[in-house]
Amino acid sequence: MSEMPGKLFGWLNSRLPILNTYERHLSKHPVPSKVNFWYLFGALASVVLIIQIISGIWLIMPYSNTEEEAFASIEYIMRDVDYGWVIRYMHTTGASMFFAVVYLHMFRGLLYGSYQKPKELVWIFGCAIYLAMMAEGFLGYVLPYGQMSYWGAQVIISLFGAIPYIGDSLELWVRGDYYISGITVSRFFALHVVALPLVLIALVFLHLVALHEVGAGNPEGVDIEEFLDDDGIPLDSVPFFPYKVLNAFVAIGVFMTVFAIIMFFFPEGGGYFIEMANFEEANPLVTPEHIAPVWYYSPYYAMLRAVPDKLGGLIIMGSAVAILFVVPWLDNSKAASIRYKGIYSKIALAFFAISFLTLGYLGTVGVTEVRKTMSVICTFIYFAFFLLMPIYTKFEQTKEVPKRL
Amino acid sequence: MMNKHKFSFNFKWWQMPMFGFFVMSLACIFFLTDVNASEGGPCKDYGECDKFKYSLNDMESLQSGASTFMNYCYGCHSLQYSRWGRVATDLQIPEEIFFDTLVFDKSIKSGDLMTGSMSKDASVEWFGVAPPDLTLVSRVRGDDWIYSYLRAYYEDSSKQYGVNNLVYPGTAMPNVLMALQGSQKLICKNIPIIAGNGGEKRDQAGKALTKEKCGFLEVPEGSGQLTKDEFDKVIYDLTNFLVYVGEPSKATRERIGWYVIFYFLIFTAVSYMLYREYHKDYH
Repeated sequence: MSEMPGKLFGWLNSRLPILNTYERHLSKHPVPSKVNFWYLFGALASVVLIIQIISGIWLIMPYSNTEEEAFASIEYIMRDVDYGWVIRYMHTTGASMFFAVVYLHMFRGLLYGSYQKPKELVWIFGCAIYLAMMAEGFLGYVLPYGQMSYWGAQVIISLFGAIPYIGDSLELWVRGDYYISGITVSRFFALHVVALPLVLIALVFLHLVALHEVGAGNPEGVDIEEFLDDDGIPLDSVPFFPYKVLNAFVAIGVFMTVFAIIMFFFPEGGGYFIEMANFEEANPLVTPEHIAPVWYYSPYYAMLRAVPDKLGGLIIMGSAVAILFVVPWLDNSKAASIRYKGIYSKIALAFFAISFLTLGYLGTVGVTEVRKTMSVICTFIYFAFFLLMPIYTKFEQTKEVPKRL
Repeated sequence: MMNKHKFSFNFKWWQMPMFGFFVMSLACIFFLTDVNASEGGPCKDYGECDKFKYSLNDMESLQSGASTFMNYCYGCHSLQYSRWGRVATDLQIPEEIFFDTLVFDKSIKSGDLMTGSMSKDASVEWFGVAPPDLTLVSRVRGDDWIYSYLRAYYEDSSKQYGVNNLVYPGTAMPNVLMALQGSQKLICKNIPIIAGNGGEKRDQAGKALTKEKCGFLEVPEGSGQLTKDEFDKVIYDLTNFLVYVGEPSKATRERIGWYVIFYFLIFTAVSYMLYREYHKDYH
């Protein structure tokens, strides 16, 4: 009897690469022995992805994707479904936290050059994940069919109309109707719960496979593969399991505490996570005084509004995301980490961060002349950071990168 | 030796765009000081909304608020996402007493939604607009807003119902609670002029200088059934009830939240100790 589990495992393992995968990606997967807290957001992002998928599945059960019942079904979840409010707040808080950790994760990439050779593909898959998340978040925000769902969707879908020649028909094709209606809601539902999650999961898989192929980075920008022990294992590395897993557990504990504080005490996040106007059912006849996107899109919304022309705004907004994909080829620096890059890179990154945060703020408030000027300036800075990168990273004085961690 | 200290500026061509970049960034920070351009607050002419602090565990307050709502508001406003029985249970009112005293339509059952008692078509004819459903009003407008709004009515003979509201100028709703509050008026007062040094300005005889300022609300004493404090309490309870209806699980949420946070703190502590133990292996 006692040999049964071993036999069963042997049977399975000879047909499925269980042990091999476990060793390759967990117990023997080498990761740099010295990293800092910036390297924990990737693990946190995968935790939030799991939270979103599980809470999402439970939300689908009582949700109704029709024009008449969508809004009421959300209130049904909040009131009549046992602990429905837990599931719903988990999902809304999760959406904001997903973007929060992903923004920090991406900033880590810029900070320590996590896109440099040979990690270009890891970075590109990451950018694609971010793009898919933006679409996923937008589609999901329409589903409760509140005022902001409706008018936010109105603004975003009308952007398609700005594309020359095919714009109008494209807009109609996306919306499925001459105005936003139950048809739009139900197709967005299908995309939000089936199509994009599949895309996201596939991209996350590729992101991780590519990462495990080239190895994780570190804040020093040291290539740990250069110094190996007799078994061919990098000297400055530890096995992923259990060391890095335990490291991630501490991060998950802290993160979930913050998550719980928001979810149980500030689920609306002061109107930034769930906008107040979205507690009112969609009404095509009443435009809200002030249409603002949720916080995670607001930098791009500010860019959109900074350009007077609709098509121009759309191009700027699209380029702002698109330019992320080519960062590996913009950085000419010999050093990967900001620690060893020159002063220009440091200042440029600092101002980039400031301008992005400022744009984020500007996207949530109403427009005044001064704010419009600010949006234009910050949009310039955003692009200058990337477009000037080939120049300042090539010519600036870098410090010598150490050989070992 | 002198050469070492000589100031030299080796300007390179590629520093040009960088210079422009930094100047622009600084300009951006400079503009930040101006972003708080004044925007009209949600309470409009009333100025700053009065602060409201809900107390969802105060059953007496919630019950009194529910009673005010059923007697004064439910005639026109529905609570369409809320169910009768749930309100009775959450507010700890025995169902018999609840249905005897607060539910006026005897055909209503415990599981029914509180869909209102007035037909939409008739109300549009009477008021110009259908009175909105109030289930989520505390979440759309905020509790501060409701608390201020219901206390900001004043006499204005130019309006259809003889009243106007500082928080919501031109509101279509008459002041339903006027009998309780009395007839509030908008008055002007002479207030002391404050000098630059913070003190009151006085003339040469030492008499305080005053200027007239308008926009103050005042209820002539004895014009309503309640005193100002009693009326404020009625509105407090009503607002508290609307906060409850806006999110019936709010009190539960805030109670459970502490346990969840506590759990994750323990989780963090245990994983940290384990992490520290394993960390010794490679340091």
